[in-house]
Amino acid sequence: MDNVDNFISLHNSKISKLIKKKKRLYFEVKNDYIREITDYLFNKIGCRLSTATAQETYNGIEVLYHFSHDESGQYFCPRVVITDKKNPEINSITLLVKGAEWIEREMYDLWGIKFIDHPRLELLLTKDNPAGIKQPLRFRRES
Amino acid sequence: MSKNIIPVGPFHPLLEEAEYFTLKVDGEKVIGIDLDIGWMHRGHEFISETKTFTQSLYLVERICGICSTSHPLACVHAIEDIDNIDIPLRARYIRTLIGELERIHSHLLWIGLAGHFIGYDTLWMWAWKYREPVLQMFEIISGNRNHYGMMRVGGVAKDVDSSSIPKLYSILDDIASKMDMIAKAANDDPVLRSRLVGVGVLSHEDAVRFCAVGPTSRASGIPADVRKDDPSDAYDLVEFNTIVMKNGDVYDKLVVRVLETLESIKIVRQCLDMLKNINGPILNDVKEISPGEGIGRYEAPRGEVFHYIRSDGTNRPVRHKVRAPSYVNIPTFEASCIGIPIADALITLAAVDPCYCCTERSIKVVDSARQPTKIDLLKISREKTEYLRRQINGN
Repeated sequence: MDNVDNFISLHNSKISKLIKKKKRLYFEVKNDYIREITDYLFNKIGCRLSTATAQETYNGIEVLYHFSHDESGQYFCPRVVITDKKNPEINSITLLVKGAEWIEREMYDLWGIKFIDHPRLELLLTKDNPAGIKQPLRFRRES
Repeated sequence: MSKNIIPVGPFHPLLEEAEYFTLKVDGEKVIGIDLDIGWMHRGHEFISETKTFTQSLYLVERICGICSTSHPLACVHAIEDIDNIDIPLRARYIRTLIGELERIHSHLLWIGLAGHFIGYDTLWMWAWKYREPVLQMFEIISGNRNHYGMMRVGGVAKDVDSSSIPKLYSILDDIASKMDMIAKAANDDPVLRSRLVGVGVLSHEDAVRFCAVGPTSRASGIPADVRKDDPSDAYDLVEFNTIVMKNGDVYDKLVVRVLETLESIKIVRQCLDMLKNINGPILNDVKEISPGEGIGRYEAPRGEVFHYIRSDGTNRPVRHKVRAPSYVNIPTFEASCIGIPIADALITLAAVDPCYCCTERSIKVVDSARQPTKIDLLKISREKTEYLRRQINGN
């Protein structure tokens, strides 16, 4: 059983909407389980967090993590959908993966997503923005 | 002993790009570092969503002047990943050829800068002089010395002219002999070794914790290389070694880059051999991109460059995420700079080959309350090298 099948069988009850492609696995996971999934991917099977992508969709704000299993070239991409667009909140994974610190700060900066238990949730890129626009990527989409 | 704060940047003579570090020092020792980025954020991800897929390639090519092939290459990989688009064999070799030439010129640029930072100005001038022929090769192949405009979804834009291949071989032979000389010089020089060994160590655990990539992680013993782990283009058809060291210091990062340059020369030669012998199309006609999402990555000179694209079936991406290698490598300063003397701070900061135009992707005003440092880090770094040189040479 390879890493992907093993992962699916172990976490079958916690993941949904699987999309399986060559060396890519996308799936949806609830906010309550994201730390457990991260712990498994990062600490148990040795994945590296490449980055995370935020996107505003009709259903809410999505945070899509990209974990790379370098030994096999496989990508595991857990997706958390935040339905509360006015007050988007999600559990931070920075305490598990130090490398997620800037990635989460950028999403807080550009999308206004609050990461619960993030050790330093500050603006990363637009701190001194002269225009004073907050959450620029969401602002433009709403206008 | 007094605790002081040394601000470096955002505009400083030793920084090629706008960046801002706050070094907390206790006497001569660095005890803390705060990193402030965002001085060059240009909103590429948002702009890309207003462009067609082909226009996006030209846009991402301009994220960085050095990695001007890595970004479009990762971008086409992401678009091709949506529909599992295959590309012609000849195009695969041309993509690999361009990518490896970029690695050679990027590493030579870094070797030159590293030499300059520690007072080896001869190494700096040699490395930059021998980088010039690589740019000539680009000019012969693409017509441009930088921003080559070669990548297309489904292949490449221009073919390599068979009449130019003998000239490319000749230039490559010249570069190879000069690289051997630089590699030997770096290996044999006792001053260089004593100046860089044990400096700015990034442990294996910290490299894993910070999710470091590229030569920064390989110098710390992590054998990750996208070209081997998730091969695209012609990387599964050419032979090369992944260079991995174990100490994670600046010297190991230098060795990784020097040896990688030699490996890249090997790959370029194999690509030229194949291009001489095989013919065929260089571009598959891709009419449309289906709705879906795709991940593209490429081993840029600084490490994995990552692009994520989501398509809704139109000719534009609805989301385009870009993550450059320096974005994950720069935070490792928090681990590698603590406890080192100020004289080593500069070369340690430079050792990850940070690229800020890649890392950030709004224009910011400079806060007038921040004053540039009066401490000349470059001078201190060079004085330490000179001190070691005198000790070793006995004068």
